[in-house]
Amino acid sequence: MKVLIIEDNQELARNIRDFLGREGYICASCETLEEAKEKLSLFKYDCILLDIGLPDGNGIGLLTLIRTEHKDSNVLIISAKNALDDKIIGLEKGADDYITKPFHLAELHARIRAVYRRKNLGGASIVEFNEISLNTDTFEARINGTLLDMTPKEFDLLLYFLVNKNRVLSRQAIAAHLWGDYTDNLANFDFVYQHVKNLRRKISGAGGMDYISTVYGLGYKFNSHKQE
Amino acid sequence: MRLTIKFTLWYFGIMLVVLLIGGAIVYYEIQWKISRVEVARHERLNDIIAQQIREGGDYTGHPTRRRATITRIPADSVPRGISSYYTRGVEWNPEFQVREYRLVVTSFYTIGDMHYRVSTYSFIPSFYQLLPGVVDSFKWILLLLLVLVGISGGLISKYILAPFKRTLRVIQSFELKQKEAIRLPGTSTSEFRELNEFLLKMTDKVREDYQSLKEFTENASHELQTPTAIIRGKLDLLMESDIRDEQAVLIAEMQNALERLSRIHSSLTLLTKLENQEYAAKEPVNFSRLTREGLASFQELMQMKQLRLVVEIEDKIYIPLHASLADLLLTNLISNAIRHNAGAGVIFVRLRREGLVIANTGQEPSVPTEELFERFKKGNPGSDSIGIGLAIVRQICDMSHFDIIYEYQEGFHILGISFLPRQAASKLLQNLSVPLLKIRQEPE
Repeated sequence: MKVLIIEDNQELARNIRDFLGREGYICASCETLEEAKEKLSLFKYDCILLDIGLPDGNGIGLLTLIRTEHKDSNVLIISAKNALDDKIIGLEKGADDYITKPFHLAELHARIRAVYRRKNLGGASIVEFNEISLNTDTFEARINGTLLDMTPKEFDLLLYFLVNKNRVLSRQAIAAHLWGDYTDNLANFDFVYQHVKNLRRKISGAGGMDYISTVYGLGYKFNSHKQE
Repeated sequence: MRLTIKFTLWYFGIMLVVLLIGGAIVYYEIQWKISRVEVARHERLNDIIAQQIREGGDYTGHPTRRRATITRIPADSVPRGISSYYTRGVEWNPEFQVREYRLVVTSFYTIGDMHYRVSTYSFIPSFYQLLPGVVDSFKWILLLLLVLVGISGGLISKYILAPFKRTLRVIQSFELKQKEAIRLPGTSTSEFRELNEFLLKMTDKVREDYQSLKEFTENASHELQTPTAIIRGKLDLLMESDIRDEQAVLIAEMQNALERLSRIHSSLTLLTKLENQEYAAKEPVNFSRLTREGLASFQELMQMKQLRLVVEIEDKIYIPLHASLADLLLTNLISNAIRHNAGAGVIFVRLRREGLVIANTGQEPSVPTEELFERFKKGNPGSDSIGIGLAIVRQICDMSHFDIIYEYQEGFHILGISFLPRQAASKLLQNLSVPLLKIRQEPE
């Protein structure tokens, strides 16, 4: 997947580039509206990460251009301002999703994948890995074809793991993904533990391999290379 | 007390004093005047009698002699320097059979070489008889003044104080976040003009200060988010590298602190936005539906903590609130009720048109419940929360003019929000009383 990162902060852009690069994404980044316009006129991207507050103008203006000339590209707005207006205007002008700083890189990745699935894969919204298969439309999870009895949060969690395979997911990132911000619920870590435990039990119970492992002190990891 | 009434009362007081003094003056003036007139009349009468004596003839029985005494006196008893004098005194009036005030005027005449003393008297009204008349007339004057001052006081003050009242109205409707300066009506009263000038300066200053504070907050929040995002990303990347266990613990601790930082930050930003009233309600939201959805999204957490949920939600309850805020409000309330719940506890939710009541079992808070609405105030200092959830809840309620109350009763934390504009939340709790015992004993 080709990704264009329009972000004026180089460090943040490098974080994103590093993280997505390991997924095999081809990332380009630029810092200003002008550079972005130049890049967009020359190349085609699957996904565009657009920071709204750019040194030479508001990134929202770029959306119109992207929508007319890059219809197929997914646009994800990155904003420091969690302003509702920005969100609504951004989505109205054709952005596909909106993420607020500071975000977890795994969360950004999950959002990119979700938008990609929605737009580019049409009806085939199936995420598969070995014996595991998730249908993101019907929220059905199957192991070797057997339907798993899962709660919505467990489904969400498994999808998050599958998208971020072989990555250490911190408890904070998981909690933020499952419950969002603003809940003032730092004690959610117990719940994260419970959810992961239940998920592992359900997968093993249906005969799936226990790919999820605990990473000491940090969180959890979906280990795709795990052998019996 | 109203200014007009105060002025009028003072005015009445002054008037009363003036009228009392005036009454006394009038009383004594009349008394003196009557004497003077009467004395002049008698002097004239005495002159007529003297003329009659001068002309000679018999005037006995003449009307002039009715109350006259004519005495021939020796020359040496004629007083020098004066031709007449008068005396007053209370005497018996045989004509009216009553003791009355008698005025006697005595004049001295020299007719030919004879000296005469002529005295005439008459009974004049007693001053005490005059008094009621004076008092009466002053009573009427006072009454008339009272009525006129009362009416004109109201009318004139209405006219004079009109600019002041207009200023008051402008100030009452003044809001910190309004962009334009206040417009105060012109007035010819210099005091009001001064007041208006002062108010204009003051509100301008306040608006400027508020604007700069707001800008600072917005910029700070904006500028802080990016570095936080960088640190978080770096930590995410660091976690993936080859690290030892002790380093992992360090990273985890950093992640925790960062999480706390970012949450405090976003909550404070949110509170600021709420204070700035950036989320105006566009249309009423279906609160019944949102409550059900909110509870459903926390269902798994409740199951994990083995909490029993008792719900009584009326259908189709619409309240004027921004949908995101309604969501935020419910999320905070429900997650609070879960977090501070004892194991195998109960959560009770009752939603009616009047308001929302959420009750949950839990430990007795260590601080007064009212203080838990303050920022960074936690019932349990050891808890992991940052203690801002309820501050957000209250802020949302304040800006929507909902009254909110937090009570602890018999092992239950009870939170009530009144949706009706003029209903206190304490009243709501009485109306929607929580059947604590029943909930507690209800079997699974």
